Amino acid sequence: MAMMVSATNFDVIVVGGGHAGTEAALASARSGSKTLLVTQNIETLGQMSCNPAIGGIGKSHLVKEIDALGGVMALAADHSGIHFRVLNARKGPAVRATRAQADRQLYRAYIRHALENQQNLKLFQQSVDDLIIGDGRVTGVVTDTGLRFTAPAVVLTVGTFLGGIIHVGMDKQPGGRAGDPPSNRLADRLRELPFSVDRLKTGTPPRIDGNTVDFSELEEQPGDEQRPVMSYMASRDDHPRQVPCFITHTNEETHELIHSGLDRSPLYTGEIAGVGPRYCPSIEDKIVRFADKSSHQIFIEPEGLNTTELYPNGISTSLPFDVQQAFVRTIKGFENTHITRPGYAIEYDFFEPRDLKNSLETRHLPGLFFAGQINGTTGYEEAGAQGLIAGINAARLAKGEEAWSPRRNEAYMGVLVDDLITMGTREPYRMFTSRAEYRLILRQDNADRRLTEQGRELGLIDEQRWRYFCEKEEAIQRQAGVLSKTYVHPGDAAVETLLGQALNRDHSLLGLLKRPGVTVNELMNAAKLDSLREEVAEQIEIDCKYEGYIVRQQEEIDRVMAQQEMAIPDSIEYGTISGLSNEVCQKLESVRPATIGQAGRVAGVTHAAISLLLVYLKKQYLMESQGKQGTSRPLKLGR
Amino acid sequence: MSEKPPVLEDTIVAQATPPGRGGIGVVRLSGNKVQDICQAITGSLPVPRFAAISDFRDGDRSVIDRGLVIYFPKPASFTGEHVLELHGHGGPVVMRLLLDRCVRLGARIAAPGEFTQRAFLNDKIDLSQAEAIADLIDSASKAAAKSAVRSMQGEFSNQIEKLTEKVTLLRMYVEAAIDFPEEEIDFLGDKKVQGMLKSILSEFDEVTEKATQGALLREGVSLVLAGRPNAGKSSLMNSLTGKEVSIVTDIAGTTRDIVDNYIHLDGLPLRLIDTAGLRSGSDVIEVEGVKRAHGEIRNADHVILIVDCFAYRGELAAAAEALRGEVPGEMPVTVVVNKIDLNPDWQRELDGVPEGWVPVSAKTGEGIGCLREHLKQALGFIAVEEGTFIARTRHLDALARARISVETGGRHLVEAGAGELLAEELKLCQQALGEITGIVTSDDLLGRIFSSFCIGK
Ligand SMILES: Cc1cc2nc3c(=O)[nH]c(=O)nc-3n(C[C@H](O)[C@H](O)[C@H](O)COP(=O)(O)OP(=O)(O)OC[C@H]3O[C@@H](n4cnc5c(N)ncnc54)[C@H](O)[C@@H]3O)c2cc1C
Ligand SMILES: Nc1nc2c(ncn2[C@@H]2O[C@H](COP(=O)(O)OP(=O)(O)OP(=O)(O)O)[C@@H](O)[C@H]2O)c(=O)[nH]1
Ligand SMILES: [Mg+2]
Repeated sequence: MAMMVSATNFDVIVVGGGHAGTEAALASARSGSKTLLVTQNIETLGQMSCNPAIGGIGKSHLVKEIDALGGVMALAADHSGIHFRVLNARKGPAVRATRAQADRQLYRAYIRHALENQQNLKLFQQSVDDLIIGDGRVTGVVTDTGLRFTAPAVVLTVGTFLGGIIHVGMDKQPGGRAGDPPSNRLADRLRELPFSVDRLKTGTPPRIDGNTVDFSELEEQPGDEQRPVMSYMASRDDHPRQVPCFITHTNEETHELIHSGLDRSPLYTGEIAGVGPRYCPSIEDKIVRFADKSSHQIFIEPEGLNTTELYPNGISTSLPFDVQQAFVRTIKGFENTHITRPGYAIEYDFFEPRDLKNSLETRHLPGLFFAGQINGTTGYEEAGAQGLIAGINAARLAKGEEAWSPRRNEAYMGVLVDDLITMGTREPYRMFTSRAEYRLILRQDNADRRLTEQGRELGLIDEQRWRYFCEKEEAIQRQAGVLSKTYVHPGDAAVETLLGQALNRDHSLLGLLKRPGVTVNELMNAAKLDSLREEVAEQIEIDCKYEGYIVRQQEEIDRVMAQQEMAIPDSIEYGTISGLSNEVCQKLESVRPATIGQAGRVAGVTHAAISLLLVYLKKQYLMESQGKQGTSRPLKLGR
Repeated sequence: MSEKPPVLEDTIVAQATPPGRGGIGVVRLSGNKVQDICQAITGSLPVPRFAAISDFRDGDRSVIDRGLVIYFPKPASFTGEHVLELHGHGGPVVMRLLLDRCVRLGARIAAPGEFTQRAFLNDKIDLSQAEAIADLIDSASKAAAKSAVRSMQGEFSNQIEKLTEKVTLLRMYVEAAIDFPEEEIDFLGDKKVQGMLKSILSEFDEVTEKATQGALLREGVSLVLAGRPNAGKSSLMNSLTGKEVSIVTDIAGTTRDIVDNYIHLDGLPLRLIDTAGLRSGSDVIEVEGVKRAHGEIRNADHVILIVDCFAYRGELAAAAEALRGEVPGEMPVTVVVNKIDLNPDWQRELDGVPEGWVPVSAKTGEGIGCLREHLKQALGFIAVEEGTFIARTRHLDALARARISVETGGRHLVEAGAGELLAEELKLCQQALGEITGIVTSDDLLGRIFSSFCIGK
């Protein structure tokens, strides 16, 4: 072999340089493990396969959690974002979200820069074709040219590339996404291993040339004036030049044309077997399933600052190219439009996520971790979150440390992982805030307060971020103290004017802050105190307004936590537990939950079944400890 | 090395004696709020392990009942936690008020077998009993499930279902508005949501009022008399109740509809149910009668299979076997061999059959005493664990919580435009309703959203 690679032994190898792979590699390297990122093509590191946007409802929550654990996605979005908006601005902080349109090139460049400058991390361009397996564990990877790299932990993040097939009308071609080859050898190899594999489908709209669009016809959608930032460490000054988006609509003529092409649609002729996402249907699906809607909204998003290409969000399609061209031209503003890249659908392999542990290590092959689209999810943010968790745990495994994964009440990442490994998925899984039962606690504004301390213990947080976090937290505590100790008295004109009513007795400022519509800084000003920093004021205000709910949710969490966290040993045989019905046994057997809490979330597992499980575990405990005294509990990472 | 399972320390409450009218009724509590609850209800904490007499007071200081209070501090108690027993006068209304009061003071109605489970997890019961506890949890939860079904029969069930559907629909609008703000489906500002809230609230009041009319809900373990026509079911019914409640004739197929009556076996309330004789008739009325009989059998706690040892002499076992086949396999049954007065050989006939078959003559009364004893043994346990009464209490408690959530949520929306808090309260509401009807998961809800609205940029 002519090629020389300086080192072939690593602690962690990450395969795939998409959103999952880059976060995995960075997290692993940050926590001190010697890490190798192998990817098909270094030029496509951080490539956004579909729409050029980061964030959105439920998703920006994930991005900020990644950020709170030292990840790169939020910073990349801030340095490449060309249009920022806060969604649900008027609906209360818990469900507020941030969305950024990104310049694809700037985004990629930022990611690549971060990777190239990360200590302990090496990049390598080649396709991985095989895994090295020894002693029932994964011990490394083999590339398409036969190079071997070894590591005790391997993270697979190969996205939509496994057995990828791209459909445009009745034409189908192998591909990992437009312009990239699929990973078929690796796919075949993985199908030989004891994983349970199935197919999913997703799609993307045609791109259009902005020079051929009549913008005078279109409704402009500017970014927010009060521009939000993604990262706790970024400021508005990091944002590049900002541009607007536009809105247009389909019409009945569009729908007719689409209808006429259905006989050549791979979705409707049965060519595509994989299941697509219900919340992200193709335009042909929308028209068939919601036949009474005569028009659908399309958001026109810029692909970047230095390109005229546009992304028409809302018309994802796999219709034949001639139909695409015809129907696009019926849309207002698009009458003379030129398509630069056809829309397409892609089918790909994914693995049953219920076969994963909450560390994202596969149960069938120790040392091998899966993250991103191959676990049945969709979206950059979902991929990034999983990559981070897999990267952390791959590094921990290599160091012989216990696995770590946030709980459902700590992070959307916890909800994501727990949903996947407990319920599995039948369609590409995307995050929504309604999936989180502790939605009022899991907010995008407090991801740092929920996670950064743990991130620090995990070795993911650098000095600068840590210092910044500590200062902010300290300011919140101090100022909340001031507010609770500062009293205003009846007759205080400034305060009474602010409240619009007279005070009947003394009130603390914190008490008054509970009233609807009152803001911290208005109160501070009325009480002649200095205004607070934006992010400090925000936390005090939200904590105060949600206090009742947060206390209640926290009580609920505390009440059940001890039992929920009770570990179920790997060796458990459900068939031997008396009283458990066959049906419940099977369900538990297929998920093999790690804790009592997770077992309780498996569909069809009853309260009585959990009681029986607890009695069984107690029985095991008694049997094992008979004669032995004082068992020591393994130390858990501080929470 | 296995871990020791931790115990939830929240406070659970249940009725510890057979529910029914008359006699003594005991409410038992276990958990960390026991002392506070005792203070609140009786005004003091009695000397541990001594029975004290006290008034039991409601939140408004009115006296619910007067009776004995016994307090067992942890760890020297049945469950290993603080335990409190309130011995009242046991009437269903009083018990309900007392349970309600405990729930409002922070206790929750215990899950089936939960007291015993806690005792085991707290080392109060040793390893050798583990199997028995598993059995108890298993059978108690089956009994509870059955009681829940009974509480849900009829109009109550329909109304709860309608209510649940309305809440789900409202949640669908609210959650869709939150998760899909760019889809032109923002309903939170609509009058529509407020209208729905209003109509849901009034429906809650209606259901609650009907369900609280506790008298309508008859108590007791249900015991179904089943057998072939003319076996003597109605005769046995009359003999056990001591009244002529069921018509007896020598015409096969006399009983057509369900006939029920309440009796007490030493304080154990039983609902006896006489049914049409099981056969495949052609008469429309009879066919319907048999259908109803099967319905009662399915919902029963226990079934008495009556075999006529005169008509089936020489083939008793086969006759009983065939009858057993018409009853669900897991249903506990007692085989009663009737008309022993007519068959002088009855003792010989019983030689080969399984133990536990009870020979009687419904006509002469012979063997009826034994049958009563046998039933007390077989049914006592079901009655202690969980009755329709507890099931209904659980349901009413859930309804009350659900209603409060809707009210609070509505207020948040109107006063502060806080859609996310409305959503939170509606979720709590649905969780509470879910304790009655089964859970609606976030996935179910998303499914409804995707099929109702065209989502997806
Ligand atoms: C057509 C299309 C439409 C989509 N539409 C949407 C949408 O509407 N909404 C949405 O949220 N998401 C959409 N997505 C999904 C989104 O792109 C993915 O969820 C996200 O990119 C997944 O990240 P990942 O890291 O798991 O994989 P990817 O981003 O796919 O990255 C995989 C990486 O692995 C590399 N790789 C593959 N095989 C090998 C190998 N054998 N060896 C080495 N490297 C390898 C690839 O080069 C690539 O860098 C779409 C994707 C596609 C392709
Ligand atoms: N000698 C004798 N006759 C009995 C006994 N039990 C019931 N009979 C008679 O058997 C006949 C049928 O009795 P019922 O009680 O009506 O029987 P049933 O099972 O309710 O019958 P259907 O309602 O028709 O299904 C009547 O004539 C009773 O008097 C018994 O123990 N001894
Ligand atoms: Mg009869």
